[in-house]
Amino acid sequence: MRIRSELIIFFLVISVLPLSAVVYISYNYSEGAIRDSVRATLSGATENTGNAIENWMDARKDDIRVISQSNIALESPKEQFKDYIKIFENEHQGVYREFYMLDPSGNITFSDIDRTGNEGQKSYFHEALKGNIYVSDVSLSESSDTPEIIITGPVRRNGETVGVLAARVSLENLYRIIEKIDIGKSGEVFVVNQDGDIIFHKNRSRILKENVYNNFAVKEVTYEKNGINEYVNYKGEKVLGSYYWLPLYRWGLIAEKNIDEAYVGVLILGKVMIAISLFAVMGVVFLALVISGNITRPIKSLEEGALGLLCGNFKPIPVTSVNEIGRLTEIFNSTASELLETRKKLEAKIERADKDLEKKNKELTSANEELKKLDELKSDFLSLVSHELKTPLSSMRISAEHLESEENIDNATRKELLSIIIRNIDRQTRLINDILDLSKIEAGKTELQLENVGIREIAGTSFENIKQIANKKNISIILDIPDNLSSVMADREKLIIVLNNLFENALKFTPGGGSITLCAAEDSKGIEVSMKDTGIGIEKEKLEKIFDKFYQVDSSSRRKTGGCGLGLSISSGIIRAHDSVIHVESEPGKGSTFSFKLKKG
Amino acid sequence: MIRDAIDNKIIELVKKNENISNSEISKILGIPEVEIAERIENFSDIRSKIILVDDEIDMLLPLKISLEAENYLVLGASNGFEAIELAKTNIPDLILLDVMMPEMDGYEVCGRLKKDPVTRNIPVIMLTAKDAVREKVKGLDIGADDYVTKPFNLNELKARIKSVLRRYRDQ
Repeated sequence: MRIRSELIIFFLVISVLPLSAVVYISYNYSEGAIRDSVRATLSGATENTGNAIENWMDARKDDIRVISQSNIALESPKEQFKDYIKIFENEHQGVYREFYMLDPSGNITFSDIDRTGNEGQKSYFHEALKGNIYVSDVSLSESSDTPEIIITGPVRRNGETVGVLAARVSLENLYRIIEKIDIGKSGEVFVVNQDGDIIFHKNRSRILKENVYNNFAVKEVTYEKNGINEYVNYKGEKVLGSYYWLPLYRWGLIAEKNIDEAYVGVLILGKVMIAISLFAVMGVVFLALVISGNITRPIKSLEEGALGLLCGNFKPIPVTSVNEIGRLTEIFNSTASELLETRKKLEAKIERADKDLEKKNKELTSANEELKKLDELKSDFLSLVSHELKTPLSSMRISAEHLESEENIDNATRKELLSIIIRNIDRQTRLINDILDLSKIEAGKTELQLENVGIREIAGTSFENIKQIANKKNISIILDIPDNLSSVMADREKLIIVLNNLFENALKFTPGGGSITLCAAEDSKGIEVSMKDTGIGIEKEKLEKIFDKFYQVDSSSRRKTGGCGLGLSISSGIIRAHDSVIHVESEPGKGSTFSFKLKKG
Repeated sequence: MIRDAIDNKIIELVKKNENISNSEISKILGIPEVEIAERIENFSDIRSKIILVDDEIDMLLPLKISLEAENYLVLGASNGFEAIELAKTNIPDLILLDVMMPEMDGYEVCGRLKKDPVTRNIPVIMLTAKDAVREKVKGLDIGADDYVTKPFNLNELKARIKSVLRRYRDQ
């Protein structure tokens, strides 16, 4: 798990647990307080309203009492009484619907609306006749179908009840009183009698039409109890209901309020609490993010730096803090740069080693090729030597065998065969001598018989040796040697061999009509001898090799031109034994010049 | 002894008329009389024809003398080109071929002869100073019929020639 997540969880645990405890406790307290306050308000309002109804009713009773006991009702003429009543009714603005008088038999003797009839059976008549101010049950008026009560009081003359004063009182005015109770949109306020019949309700049509005795509050109030409670009302709705018993009139006042509306404060409180909690949690998370970010960012960049180091693209991590992590970052940076330094050095070393290796490989490859060439050279040499040695032998053998086996050989043939044998013996001898000479030279065993030798004399001897071949090939030989040339210190016989070889080579590679010039020139250091031909020349890359033994510029020319590639090796060896070197300059197609310098005698 | 179409025509003419003259044959075939005479002389030469190839004149000469003494008709060639040309025009019974020659060595000559339908059936004996096994194998691979290493015993060479000729004649 990442440090950041761990920190966030940690912060949440340590902050949210106490926070929720506080929220829960305060919610509970507040909820109780709100409920208590709501109940107190509702029950207070109910009680006040109940008192107001009682007061109002008392006032009506007092009206009746005053009028019934005054002289006006008893003494005044009817018209005067009527005027008096009208004025009284006007003063009370619709409270009183009718005032009328009854004689002791129940006959209506007076009515301000001129009604007649007998009401001797009514209880309110009997109760008033007994001398009480009496309030009847609620009934619906015949004319307007609105609730009304009838209040009666005894009319006395000299202490004797002579009649009854009755007033039909409209209860419309009670609405104004009841409206003062706040019952919300769906609440109800109504008044029941002791039987549970609705005797007063905002909805007039329900008055005296419904019995709501089943309602919890109605039951309670008809037991003459006051109080407030939560229950399910007759509509099946959960309500907070307050009930108040009016003992004088045996009425119960009930105010019901939808429980949710009643406790809307609790709901708001809950919402506020939840909002506060959420806000707090968000705050904590935000803080945790900020703090953990501050803590983890340097760690994260350390991690990235380390990863970068692994991948090889390391960049120094910026140090953003001075705490332990900051110091760790600094240490990491310096370690990483040291590592990179070391790595660079190692890479450079490896590269160097690679280059060395490559170089050595190349060297090995070229050495190998060199060796292969040498090997080819060797096998060339071997087949050449075996050919050179075996061909004369074969020739001799065939000739000799023929001479031996055939009886009748004519003289010419016999002579020819014998001359072949002799020629090949000479050839063999020459080759063997060449090889022996070369081996001596190679072994450094050449013993020079140094003496004063004239170049002119030696050149002459050499010229005599090759004169015939030159004539045959139509090549002119020019000896360009000054008369007064100093003699050189050299081995005469060996020097002749050198000149012979050079002449032979020049003759081999110079086409007919060409020329070979032998020059000798003197300077302070010695005598330079050079032989220039107009032959085919030698390619530049082959110049170095012509002194190698058995080397032939063109291997196919070997047979054509004769020789086995030893002449120049032998000559070079001889000149080397004289502490000098044979130089060669050549241009293909134009000719070659071989030269060497000898010490003066 | 291989005869070409012209030879066969000459033989047919002679069979029809035993007394026909060379000039008459020359007229019929449109070939010079001299060549007709040479061809007719060749018919009578029943010797086996051998082409001997070696760049060393000192090898060529004594071998030619020895083989002629054995009653072979010997034609000499001193290089590969000459040998191939000679083989195509004369169709010998056998070719003795030296391996080590400048410009075109014996192996190449043998290879060319064995690729050409005209000369492919001529037996070839290689002569060489090289006696390494792989050299022998190389020669035989190219199509040589036998191999003689220098310096050889003349009688051995003669025996091999006879053996190869007999083998080819029997085929």
